[in-house]
Amino acid sequence: MSSATIQTDGHQAPTFTTAEQSAMRDLWTVYDDHYDEISQEAERGLAEDPEFGPLIKGMSRDLMEQQNQRSRALMRDAMRDGRWEPYLADLLEQGANYARMGLSFVSWYRAIGVIRPSILRRLRAAYGEDSDRLLGTLKALGQWFDTAMSTIGDAYLNTKEQIIVEQQEAIRELSTPVLTLMDGLLLLPVVGLIDSHRARQMTDHLLQGIHRFRAKVVVIDITGVAAVDTMVANHLIQAVEAARLLGATAIVTGLSADVAQTVVKIGVDLSRLHTVGDLQGGVSEAMEFLGYRLERTATGTN
Amino acid sequence: MAVPILKLGSDLIASIQSALSDEDLIRLKDDLARQIGEWRSRGVVVDVTAADVMDSFTIRTLLDIAQVGRLRGADTVIVGLKPDVAFAMVQLGLRLDGMSTGLDLEEGLALLRKRREGPADGG
Repeated sequence: MSSATIQTDGHQAPTFTTAEQSAMRDLWTVYDDHYDEISQEAERGLAEDPEFGPLIKGMSRDLMEQQNQRSRALMRDAMRDGRWEPYLADLLEQGANYARMGLSFVSWYRAIGVIRPSILRRLRAAYGEDSDRLLGTLKALGQWFDTAMSTIGDAYLNTKEQIIVEQQEAIRELSTPVLTLMDGLLLLPVVGLIDSHRARQMTDHLLQGIHRFRAKVVVIDITGVAAVDTMVANHLIQAVEAARLLGATAIVTGLSADVAQTVVKIGVDLSRLHTVGDLQGGVSEAMEFLGYRLERTATGTN
Repeated sequence: MAVPILKLGSDLIASIQSALSDEDLIRLKDDLARQIGEWRSRGVVVDVTAADVMDSFTIRTLLDIAQVGRLRGADTVIVGLKPDVAFAMVQLGLRLDGMSTGLDLEEGLALLRKRREGPADGG
């Protein structure tokens, strides 16, 4: 395809028969002749739309005019001359932008619902006498909308997928902090689901932390872990053993009653882990191990 | 390449500085076994900071060193495992059961001292 250089993300230009092409040109002729009127009608029709309304109001005349000219040129290339790739590439880009702005996909159908009758009316006026020609342009109109909407739909899906990936990345980054509580004591709070990827990252962070802060004891708090299965238990054991290889003792805290029951029921052997009921207990045990003593001073306010 | 063994007070320090062949490891084990008796040492620190890989033979030899040492009256501590080496070992299921580990030489010596001072509590 000659469009190899243009990024259309799997969107190929629609292929039309000669008859369809000439119908598309007929459609364009009518659309082009009444372009400004149709744009204005669409603008009026969408002025009260909950999503497009504010968007249209927020746009300056100049910007709108500029955008109109731009899409007009792209559509002319596509519908009159059969060069669809630049038009589709533009739609993909615009779709992605609107998706990021939070414009819903359904709203595009509302927009089409406004534009379609306005074009249909003019098609009837132009080709009303010639029913074959009219039918051809109607079909072309459908093809045009289908192509445009599937492209925009794809742009939406791509954008949403990308957002999901970004958020997953953010959650991963957020969720494995290694905190220093005092000299030689690290805290690793684990929240959410532990999958292999996260477990690896968690253990990695923990080991780097032990090395950097010269920690002797680490408290791994799993209060925020919803479910512990064999996999998760093994990940925990691995983390604890790896910590021990660096000379640090690990204390696991925060096994809830439910989690403890599950662990016993599925028969996971956690006897190699040193577990303490809650974070407070774990920290005080760690402090004892390190030779610290927490003392209340007389100057305290409470 | 032979591993140098240094004597520091009642402890011996073996610092592995480069990748070792199996023969080197066996020689290290023999040397340590001999020198523990020679110096009446109470503790051995094996520093593996320079090791980028720990294979099963190395680990078995280290475990042997610890056992032989214990039989001759010396505690053994392995120090200087790097985070990624430790992680890889755990993932491969290679364990140093029954052996003490420390972050670095300093920690290892401190651990041995603590053991001697308070033999009741095992680290």
